[in-house]
Amino acid sequence: MNKLIQNEMLKLLARKRLIVVGIILSILVVLFTYAQYQTVQTQLKKLGTTDWRTTLQQQIIDTQNRLSNSRIPDDFKKELEVRVKQQQYYLDNDINPAEPGAPSFTKEFMENSIDLLLPLMIMVIASDLVSSEFSMGSIKLLLTRPVKRWKILFSKYVTLLLAISLIIAMMGMISYLISGVVFGFKGWTAPEFIGFQITEAGFDASGASIIPQWQFILMDFGVVWFAAVVVGTLSFMVSVLIRSTAAGMGIILALLIAGAILSNMVSSWTSAKYFFMLNMRLTDYLNGSPPPIEGMTLSFSLAVLTVWWLLALFISFGVFTKKDIY
Amino acid sequence: MCEVFILKKPLSIVITALSAVLLCVWLGGFLYAVQTNLNVQADESKNTSQDTGKKSQAVNNEKDLKVVAVGDSLTRGMGDETGKGYIGYLTDEMKAKSKKPVIVQNLGISGQKSDSLLAQVKTYSVTRQLKEADYILITIGGNDLFQGGQTLVDFQPAAVKSIQQKYLHNLEAILSHVRSSNSGAVIFLVGLYNPFIELENGKDTSQVVREWNYKSAEAAAKQIKTVYVPTFDLFELKVNDYLYTDRFHPNSKGYRLIAERVAALLTW
Amino acid sequence: MITLSVKNLKKKIGKKEIIKGIDIELYEGEVFGFLGPNGAGKTTTIRMLTGLIRPTSGSISICGYDLQKDFTNAMMHLGCIVENPELYPFLSGYDNLVHFARMIPGFQSKRLAEVIELVGLSERIHDKVKTYSLGMRQRLGIAQALLGNPKVLILDEPTNGLDPAGIREMRQFIRDLAKNEGLSVLVSSHLLSEIQLLCDRVAIISKGAVIQTDTVHALLSSQEKMVWRVEPLQQAKQILESATEVVELEDCLITDFDANKAGLWSRELVNSGIQIIEMNRRLPALEDLFLELTGGDRIE
Repeated sequence: MNKLIQNEMLKLLARKRLIVVGIILSILVVLFTYAQYQTVQTQLKKLGTTDWRTTLQQQIIDTQNRLSNSRIPDDFKKELEVRVKQQQYYLDNDINPAEPGAPSFTKEFMENSIDLLLPLMIMVIASDLVSSEFSMGSIKLLLTRPVKRWKILFSKYVTLLLAISLIIAMMGMISYLISGVVFGFKGWTAPEFIGFQITEAGFDASGASIIPQWQFILMDFGVVWFAAVVVGTLSFMVSVLIRSTAAGMGIILALLIAGAILSNMVSSWTSAKYFFMLNMRLTDYLNGSPPPIEGMTLSFSLAVLTVWWLLALFISFGVFTKKDIY
Repeated sequence: MCEVFILKKPLSIVITALSAVLLCVWLGGFLYAVQTNLNVQADESKNTSQDTGKKSQAVNNEKDLKVVAVGDSLTRGMGDETGKGYIGYLTDEMKAKSKKPVIVQNLGISGQKSDSLLAQVKTYSVTRQLKEADYILITIGGNDLFQGGQTLVDFQPAAVKSIQQKYLHNLEAILSHVRSSNSGAVIFLVGLYNPFIELENGKDTSQVVREWNYKSAEAAAKQIKTVYVPTFDLFELKVNDYLYTDRFHPNSKGYRLIAERVAALLTW
Repeated sequence: MITLSVKNLKKKIGKKEIIKGIDIELYEGEVFGFLGPNGAGKTTTIRMLTGLIRPTSGSISICGYDLQKDFTNAMMHLGCIVENPELYPFLSGYDNLVHFARMIPGFQSKRLAEVIELVGLSERIHDKVKTYSLGMRQRLGIAQALLGNPKVLILDEPTNGLDPAGIREMRQFIRDLAKNEGLSVLVSSHLLSEIQLLCDRVAIISKGAVIQTDTVHALLSSQEKMVWRVEPLQQAKQILESATEVVELEDCLITDFDANKAGLWSRELVNSGIQIIEMNRRLPALEDLFLELTGGDRIE
């Protein structure tokens, strides 16, 4: 099995798709970094020449004053407390909060690419993995070896998982290094707020706690990875079912874009929450953004994604091991 | 023998191994995220059930403790990262010890001096709140004396004298007004500490603060059920451990010390 | 010794039976031809033999291992090229071979060099496959098929697209493999002259069934013809038709060959004042043979 995986990696690397993905990501990150930089500059201009440290100190004191007001609701107080802690961290570590550090930029970049950009990159690899063997005709050589078919497909699937892991790491590295040049590399230990939720009752922070940013980023990457694995597996299934790589990519692309559009407009069509596309934004649950449809929770989304994942895996292996190769 | 030809692509092997490691890292991150967040969710549901429990308790027990706090930035809790201030910690302690709901009105205003506090307590709404209080907490005088550190930097005994006179006059008026509006409540007057004790003229400033506190305590003694709470000794050693970065207000540790001292005086 | 045995092999797609029961046996050291027009089920059969398509019924056994029940062991003894050898163009020939070698359990790395030597690709083996000529790809294809020391080699249209020199070379190569290494080689081709020159035995397949299996020689000799060039043609035809079946082809007449009667017929023609310009005994081309056997099923 090890050798089969090496075979698949050899082909994957030889086709240089990962390099293409890397180049695309680099270009985009440069673009986003520039955009962010412009935003920061405009903000700085608006604020005038005032020293941000004084402003920040003032903000901290203001927030503290608001905090000691017994009339403000408890959950809001939690939020304020975190804000103070974050602001204090920025002050202590000499980070201008208006200029995000590379870790913050990376985190935000990952959170924003989880439902479209990253799946697209994964799709480039996944939808090609099996169908390219068909379109090149090499599948006939591959399947006439003394190796069972499920093992061949499994080695391809493992390769997909490896490639996904690699792409996510690449994405993280690229965005960290490029944005770090502009915004600085500091901020790994900045406090991050987890565990609060937006519910019908409003903002619920009763279970909130604070962790250093690197832990938060690790969690972010973890859920991003999971979402990517699910999309990758679905593309993989399409790749098994459809000989044409382009058609396969088209299908997945259409689904992803439909998901992006739907998540903006379907809050009344609640059954849409069973689509995998609407459950992609797992990072939202971590940072407390509201889900596209009310009542969706992390466990719900994980369950939906897991079902899609298992289904795709089941179909992929079922079809591939039985398929007649013409 | 078999491996010889396979090892011809070291780069591919390295990348494969690296990817495998990354896979484990991301999987770990994912599990961590799931575990953390699902735990949080579970905690939240527990918390809410506790909250409802408390609420039902509150309905059963009508007798709750009312606390009114007036004064300056110490009452506000400035410098405390959690924003609680000594009032917050004290309230927590009261809740825990009395098992009763505690209602706190924090009317502190940062930078307030004795004259403006006198004006504040005399207003209708404040007087009304004082009337219903079980405990009244006061911190005042720090801004009169220190004026942001100015008084003690160019230290002039004569000037201090006249400030102190004015302050005591105001303090007595404040205490008597509070007492007259609520005869039953216990009044705690929290004394000053010397934030500048470790500076050059620490001895001189300490002398002034001790004198100031002594007079404040005497003023408090004139009213019944009025307790002067000293804080000078709390900050006497290692003052900087208990001060916020502005070297003037207490930090959370400092506030906690003050709160503990007040709490020790509470009786039920 | 029987290396490949196919019994009553059938394949249905939907309700349509494409392959209607094929039986073949291959012996050690022989080249076996598999002949049929496009659409006769040749490719489907070969894909079933190589495990790419699951038969509806029937059994395939390679060196005693059943392909359905014991896929891995059966495939250990089989090498094949189905249609064109579509190797990975973005890898070097060497990497392609390494790739497929890794899929063989217990592969000995010295076999890799042997195979490269055997197909004569040593010089270009580290170049990318996309720079190879068709002939080189074909040879690399054979190299990958031979990697696992197979007992049975299945080649689908092995000379397809090669130039005449390449075809001759390939033909010799296949013959040598069978002769020197004792392989059973199954060759399918629509180039009928190819089968004639290459194979020991041949199975003719039409509409999903084997019509006839025999040695090439036996098949051809049973179908020998006489070619008559005579003058005047029509008169001669009338005379011959009274004795046997006659086909008129350009300026010749063609009849079956019958050693006993040929003299009789010619005497009759001469007696009737017909001039015999040429009288020839000829082995038919497989094209004719095929037409004969299938009754008009077209072939390229």
